[in-house]
Amino acid sequence: MSCDYPLLVKTFRAGKKPQFLADAKSVDFARQLDAQDKLKSFRDDFNIPTKASLKKKALDGSILGEKKQPPMVNGDGDGEKAVNGVSQSSADTDDDTPSIYFVGNSLGAQPKCIRTHLDAQLETWGSIGVNGHFTSLENSPLTAWQDMAADCAQQSLDLVGAASASEVIYMNTLTVSLHLMMASFYRPTEKRHKIIAEWKPFPSDSYAIASQLQWHGLSPETSLIEIHPDQPGTMCISTEHILSVIDEHADETALLLLPGIQYYTGQLFDIPRITAHARARGITVGWDLAHAAGNVELSLHDWDVDFAVWCTYKYLNAGPGAIAGVFVHERHHHADANANQDSGVVNGLGYRHRLAGWYGADKSVRFNMEKEFRPAEGAHGWQVSNPSAVDLACVRAALGVFGRTSMRELRDKAVVLTGYLEWLLNGLLEDKVGMGGEGQPAFRILTPANPLERGSQLSLLLRSGLLGRVSEKLAEVGVVIDVRKPDVIRVAPVPMYCRFADVWGFVEVFKRALEEA
Amino acid sequence: ATIDAGSGGSTTDKCVYLCGNSLGLQPKRTQTRLNQYLATWATQGVQGHFKPLEGSPLPTWLDADERAAQLIAPIVGASEAEVAVMQTLTANLHLLMSAFYRPDINGKHKIMLESKAFPSDHFAVETQLRHHGLDPSTSMITLTSASSPEDNILTTSEIISAITAHASSTALLLLPGIQYYTGQLLDIPTITAHAHKHSIFVIWDLAHAVGNVPLHLHDWDVDAAAWCSYKYLNGGPGCIAGMFVHSRNSTVTRAITDEKPEEGYTNRLAGWWGNDKRTRFVMANKFHPVKGAAGFQLSNPSVMDITSLSASLELFHEAGGVGRLREKSVRLTAFLEELLLGEEGIVGEEESSLFRIITPRDPEQRGAQLSLMLKPGLLETVMRELEKRAVIVDERRPDVIRVAPAPLYNTFEDCIGFVEAFAAALKVARAERGT
Repeated sequence: MSCDYPLLVKTFRAGKKPQFLADAKSVDFARQLDAQDKLKSFRDDFNIPTKASLKKKALDGSILGEKKQPPMVNGDGDGEKAVNGVSQSSADTDDDTPSIYFVGNSLGAQPKCIRTHLDAQLETWGSIGVNGHFTSLENSPLTAWQDMAADCAQQSLDLVGAASASEVIYMNTLTVSLHLMMASFYRPTEKRHKIIAEWKPFPSDSYAIASQLQWHGLSPETSLIEIHPDQPGTMCISTEHILSVIDEHADETALLLLPGIQYYTGQLFDIPRITAHARARGITVGWDLAHAAGNVELSLHDWDVDFAVWCTYKYLNAGPGAIAGVFVHERHHHADANANQDSGVVNGLGYRHRLAGWYGADKSVRFNMEKEFRPAEGAHGWQVSNPSAVDLACVRAALGVFGRTSMRELRDKAVVLTGYLEWLLNGLLEDKVGMGGEGQPAFRILTPANPLERGSQLSLLLRSGLLGRVSEKLAEVGVVIDVRKPDVIRVAPVPMYCRFADVWGFVEVFKRALEEA
Repeated sequence: ATIDAGSGGSTTDKCVYLCGNSLGLQPKRTQTRLNQYLATWATQGVQGHFKPLEGSPLPTWLDADERAAQLIAPIVGASEAEVAVMQTLTANLHLLMSAFYRPDINGKHKIMLESKAFPSDHFAVETQLRHHGLDPSTSMITLTSASSPEDNILTTSEIISAITAHASSTALLLLPGIQYYTGQLLDIPTITAHAHKHSIFVIWDLAHAVGNVPLHLHDWDVDAAAWCSYKYLNGGPGCIAGMFVHSRNSTVTRAITDEKPEEGYTNRLAGWWGNDKRTRFVMANKFHPVKGAAGFQLSNPSVMDITSLSASLELFHEAGGVGRLREKSVRLTAFLEELLLGEEGIVGEEESSLFRIITPRDPEQRGAQLSLMLKPGLLETVMRELEKRAVIVDERRPDVIRVAPAPLYNTFEDCIGFVEAFAAALKVARAERGT
């Protein structure tokens, strides 16, 4: 059997599907892919919950990997029972076998280096107290506190395709940052007052939009345009349809706000094309990149995106609720450049209107306690408060892992990981696994089939009634996926720490679960 | 805290850290709790949101905000439903103003604040005005004290008079519970009551008051308040902040199934975390807040941060609450004041002439902090000399130092240590200046 990893990458990257041969449906093939994976060592840099740890009822002071090395899954461990490469463990043989953790799209696994960064932060606080704001200690992976957000920005250039660190800042949470962006970039006039969004945004975005409209004395009824799926039987939205909706409302639209990747379907939108189309019609364009940052390659600066926001606890692995990220295009860093584009500029002030706070002031004058607000350069000028240092320590640690590879390398692996998963799942459908009494398939994949129109995640719509039992069975054997009631599971093999063997293992377990359900 | 005390000092000599009003010290317990949080994340992954672990002092992540609200409520004198641990201080001010500042240019449109407000408050007010197309020159009133032109110690009656004078056009009053520069503690209940008589909404910035002085926000009828957690609450630099919304301001009187449900609550800049927890994950696309301050939340909070804060708040409870801490604080600060005024002979006449205490003398009008105004040109030398002696206080250029003995971890001996170092520093400064 042959397994040409580079060819697989190339094929998927071209938006095509490779010819997997029959022997690809085997754990050996999966292992071959793993053997060729240049990123495989990154897995050791993460604390991935084990089957045993997932079942823990109490903390016991142990962290996986600190007591002993976990045995390899797929039968390479000592005395572990394996069938077709998947551990048949019952509770007593679970021990330290890593789970198949396919929820990095919801909560990323913990980088081991978070601990050292956190320890450094606590030691700094405990040793020099308030001086930590201005002092960088040697041997620390961290900068002085007042520089931490900028340091994280500097680590994010490849991540989001920023031209410089001044286009990026870490602050607040995603939704609050979104509100701050809208307060600056959604400045409706009588003529241009509409916001175009997709039909089912993540609820937080819906609430943000509706409440922003209300804050301006408008309402969704008057000023919200929703883009609905145009393709029958799917929940995906074609680019052409998005562009046509933009065209329909262009003259009255102030803002287009879309998710880079739709959370439910996993669809990746054509960010550059949509952005260009909207901007050419005088519309400001903002992107919610919660599911895109750290997942797919982004070139926000070159794509001319006006602003973007993302959270850091999904693909970026910074921990639940960790401080969010924001991009503001360089062209907004100075007010005069925008004078004729929209009404966001407040004449005479020399900077774009925003909801301000002291921390958005330039560092050189911030502590002077002046009454005149002089914003820091770029995205940094949108900060309002001094940020959480422990949060930034976590983000710094997490971004440091990304810094040792590139989005390009990650995406190379990701397209093959997800492409392989899709091929195996389609194989289950072909084999009519779990088919219903009247010939209904057990599931269908909601995510676009084109590898260029998705990230790592595949969303599976299960046949009605299957979800409960299937998710139970998956959990029983330490497979962690995300459940969206009533019928959807989202499965995200992320390149940073998941393996092809995990994909194989997942499909084996999923198959059994469908058969037994 | 331990700091290298320089020549002659052992590296385990504690420094004299009287800067808790700027950045509180780290509770030892914080590291333990954060390690427990890391262990939870590492071993449970996404399950950490909802799976309780036996014997763990930590709540599930979904419940972390509720637990933090339970811990902070008694510290501010509110019910749990009236507080939310969230975001940052200035973001919270913006969120509150976006909800409760709805100006009518032909009626009530002005925002009143003090002229020496912490700049963040000033910027927040100014930009909120601009959002509504208003201008600070017409819609911002800043309070200055006629009786205290140099230090701007606003008396209660001055504030009351100003409120009365501008009542018909004022929509919002924003004041600090404790003024950051002077350390003055304002009469929150009296001022609030008077503002209410004139239908003015009152927001209190409690950055320097929370964890410092007893607060009874509910009983004082405060409309709303916000604070940060890294000063007297010892949550760590930039730690997740908090807000208070009086129960009467956070009602939700219609169900989502009623007609025009949005008319049943005060509109606010919203996010999914303000939705009722029971329906939050239903992913409905229409916002309907849970009643109470929790309905003002927007996002799932940083569990790391909220764990850090909660660790510290455990100590407040073990200490018996702010009331008990205040008893010690009053004595501590009084002792500090006496020493500065010459008690024990540490500060001589000549040193005395080089500074004055600008904080009110009345213990009821201040918290832990004393602000010392130095004669011009002395600050840099004094700070340098203090640092040499491992004394950490806060400086406000050009001439002020702020000294805040925090009752939780500072001692009467710290006060002596500070004053001795301060007197020595003044001597050096005087010699350098040649006076």
